[in-house]
Amino acid sequence: MATTEPSSDKAARYSGTTRKDTLNRWLTRSGPLLALLAMCLILSLVSPFFFTTDNITNITRQTAFVALLAIGQTFVILTGGIDLSVAAIAALSACVAAVLMTQPIELFGIGLGPFPPVLAMLIGVLVGVMAGAFNGIIIARFGVPDFIVTLGTMTILRGLALLVTGGFPVPSFRAGPDAVPLPDFLIWAGTGSIFGIPVAALIALLVMAIAWWVLRYTAFGRATFAVGGNRQAARIAGIKVGQTKVLVYAVSGLCAAIAGIVMVGRLSSANALMGEGDELRSIASVVVGGTHLFGGQGGVVGSVIGALIIGVLGNGLNLLDVSPFWQRIAQGAVIILVVVLDYWRRSDSQK
Amino acid sequence: MVAPGDTALSLRDIDKVFPGVKALDSVSFDLRAGEVHVLLGENGAGKSTLMKILSGIYAPDGGEIRIGGEPVPRLTPETASAHRIGMVHQELCLVPQMSVAENILLGQMPKTGLGAIDWPQARRLASKVLDRLGVSLDPKREVGELEVAEQQLVEIAKVLSREPRIILLDEPTSALSDAERHRLFDVIKTLTQEGVGIIYISHHLSEVPMIGDRVSVLRDGKMVGTLPARDVPEAELVTMMVGRAVESQFQRHRGEPKATALEARGLSLRGHFDNLDFKVRYGEVLGIFGLMGAGQAELVRVLFGLTRPTAGQLLVDGEPQNFTGPSDAIAKGLALIYRDRRESLVPLMPPGPNMSLAWLSDKPPWARLERARERDEIKNYIGSMNIEPPLPDREIMFFSGGNQQKVVLSRWMSSGSRILIFDEPARGIDVGAKAQVFALMDGLAAEGAAIIMVSSEPAELSGMADRTLVMRKGQLATQLMNEHTNHQTLLSHAG
Repeated sequence: MATTEPSSDKAARYSGTTRKDTLNRWLTRSGPLLALLAMCLILSLVSPFFFTTDNITNITRQTAFVALLAIGQTFVILTGGIDLSVAAIAALSACVAAVLMTQPIELFGIGLGPFPPVLAMLIGVLVGVMAGAFNGIIIARFGVPDFIVTLGTMTILRGLALLVTGGFPVPSFRAGPDAVPLPDFLIWAGTGSIFGIPVAALIALLVMAIAWWVLRYTAFGRATFAVGGNRQAARIAGIKVGQTKVLVYAVSGLCAAIAGIVMVGRLSSANALMGEGDELRSIASVVVGGTHLFGGQGGVVGSVIGALIIGVLGNGLNLLDVSPFWQRIAQGAVIILVVVLDYWRRSDSQK
Repeated sequence: MVAPGDTALSLRDIDKVFPGVKALDSVSFDLRAGEVHVLLGENGAGKSTLMKILSGIYAPDGGEIRIGGEPVPRLTPETASAHRIGMVHQELCLVPQMSVAENILLGQMPKTGLGAIDWPQARRLASKVLDRLGVSLDPKREVGELEVAEQQLVEIAKVLSREPRIILLDEPTSALSDAERHRLFDVIKTLTQEGVGIIYISHHLSEVPMIGDRVSVLRDGKMVGTLPARDVPEAELVTMMVGRAVESQFQRHRGEPKATALEARGLSLRGHFDNLDFKVRYGEVLGIFGLMGAGQAELVRVLFGLTRPTAGQLLVDGEPQNFTGPSDAIAKGLALIYRDRRESLVPLMPPGPNMSLAWLSDKPPWARLERARERDEIKNYIGSMNIEPPLPDREIMFFSGGNQQKVVLSRWMSSGSRILIFDEPARGIDVGAKAQVFALMDGLAAEGAAIIMVSSEPAELSGMADRTLVMRKGQLATQLMNEHTNHQTLLSHAG
C-alpha cells in the first residue's frame, strides 16, 4: 500500500521531548552509581577514617561475598523469580569443598585421602550448580512459585551442610591426625591483594564482567530478559521458558558456590550456617541496583553497585559509632527509600 | 439542570504531551446533552488519551474543560464521578470472584440500619439496572463464570447505576453479538432521550450512522473535523482518519496454490474441537470462521504447539509432527500472529529485540546474538512498513496497536516463516493499519507462504480468504469458496 504520510509533520510530533527523555533514561541507569558516589563523598567529609586505603580495601573485601550472590540473583530476578537459597547454596558448596580438601573420606570401605584442593573446589562448585538447577527444575516442571521452592531448598541445603560438617566448623579439631590444613592459595583468594586490590573483589569483578557479557550478547541473556518481561510472549516467540528458568537458577547456584568458596578463604574456615541472612542482602543489592523486582529490566553492574551501597552504608555507620540496633533500622530504611524513589521515577516516566 | 441540546461538556485547546510524543495537540470538542457523539481515529490518534483526561486519569498539559458551562480546573477520577461522568472502558475492570450485584454496586452497596450490607436491596437495585439494559442476568451469579459479552453488559450496568449525565463508551460492542449490540443501541437511545450525553468510540465505521448524531475524527493528536453522522459517506471518514484516500482494504495478487503446507487429520482437543480434517497449501489464504467458543481459538493453540492435541495428527510438508512447544512449530516454519498482542510482545523491549526473539528459538543458550543484523533489519522494516514512531530504541509499550502488530509481522518475516497463522489480525487495529496488515498478508501469500486466517469478521474473510472453513461447536460445519463467502453464508453455517 502506498504510504504518503506527511513525514515532516510526524517527525515534529515525535521529536519534541526526546532530550528530556534521554536525560531521564540516563538518570535511571546511573542513579545507583550517583547514590554510591554521594554516600562516599559525605562519609569522606564526616569521617577521617572512611577514605583510607585500609578501609576501602576492607569494604570491597567484605562486599565481594554479597556482590557475588547478587550477580547470580540478578539473573533470577530478571526472569521475575527470586532465589532465597543463595546463601544456603554458598554454605553447602563451601562446606563440601572444605571437608573434601581437609579430611580423609571413607567411601564403601575404601579410604580416600583428602582430595586435591582444586578437585574439591570443582566438586563444591558442581554441588552449587546442581542445587540451583534443582530449584529451576522444580519451578519449571511443577509450576510451584519460585518463592516457595527456594524457601524450601534454603532450609534443606542448610540441613545438608550441617550433615556434611557434622555441625562443626571445618577444618575441624575433631578431624584426626590425617587432616590437612586449607591450601594457601585459597586463603590468598580470600585475604590477599593484587596491586592493593583484594583478590576477592577482583574475582567478583571478573564474574560481573562475564555475567554482563552473557546478558548482553548471548541468546540465553536475551531469553532471560524476555521471560521476565513477558513470559507468555517469550513462549509464543519460541523461547524455551522452562530451560531458561533452569539455567538462571543454575547460574545463581554457580555464583553462590564461588562466593562460598572465596568466603572459606577469607574466614580460613567453613561452617554450615555461614552467610545466614545474606540471601536477603543479595536481593536488596539487586533491587537497590535498579533491577526491576518483577523482572525484565536491570543488570549485574547495578547489582554490584547495590551491594557496594549496602556495604558502604554499614561501614559508614560503624565508623560513625552508630549502635548496631540503629544500623539495622537505617539499612532497612535506605532499602525501602531507594526502591520507593525508583518506582516513583519509573511510573513518572511511563505515564 | 442541563436541557437537551445544551452543551453538556466542552473542551478547548487541550494539550497532552508524553515522553517523545504529543498525544493531543490543541484539541477542541463538545458534547450536547441528549446526543451521541462518535469519536473516530486510528490507534495512536489520541482517542484513549482524550477519554482518560475526561475520566480524570490524566491531567491535560494545557486547555480548558467545561462541564455544564462551568470551568473545571482540576478533573480527578473523584471529581469526574461527582460531575456524573461515567466511563465504560474497553478492557473490563470487574472483580471476577464477586457477584454481578456486587460488581454493579461496587463502592455503593446499600446498608441496613446496623451498617451491614442489605443483600436483598442490593439484588433489587442490580436487577433494576439490568432490566433497564434489557438483560436477564441473575445478580447472584459470580462474574467470573459469565461470558465476555455478559461481563461487558455488567460493566455498562455498573456505570448506569451511578446515574451519569455523560457517558464515555470505549468500543463497547467489540465483544457483543449482533443481537446484543442492537439491544445496547436501544439502551443508548433511551438514555439520550433522558438527556444523557454519550461519547462513543468505535472502530466500526458502519456504526456511525446507526447510532451517532455527530462524528468527530482525531488524527495524530489533532482534531480533523466534526460532521453530522447521519449521511456522511464511510469513504470520507476513512480519508479523514488516515489522511489520504484508501481505495480498498483488501488485496489479491495471488497465483495458483502449490503443494500442501499443513494438514490436520482427525485433529481433536477434548472439550474444544473434534476430528478436524483440513489442508492449507502454499500460496493460499485459508479462512477459519466461528462464533465465540466454536473452538477456533483452541485450534490455533494446537497448530502452534501451545497446547497438545488429545487425538489426531498434524502434518507439515507431509511429515507428521509432534510439537512440544512453539519452538518446535517455529523450527518447521510456522508463525503465529496472536489475537492478543499483549501476549506476543515484551513491553519493555524495543522493536528490534522483540522482532529477533524468534531467531533464538532453534539456537543453543550460548549462541551469540546477531545484534548488527537485528539493527539493520528493524531499520528496514520500520521504513518499509511505516512503523510509527520510527524510533528503534523506544520500548514497544509506547507504540500503538497497529504498529505493534507490524513489529509482530516483522518478527516472522525476518525469521523466514512459511506457514503463518493470523489469529484475529485486525482486532483493535485501525483502518490504515488494517489495510497495511492485509496487504502484507496478501504479499506473503503471493510470495508462496501458506496462510491460515482466523477471524470473526465476515468482511475480512470474504475480502481476504481463498477458502473459508466454518466451525460450529468444535466441528467443521462447511467449507466455503471465496465467491460464496459472505456475511449471510458464514453466519448461517456458524450458528
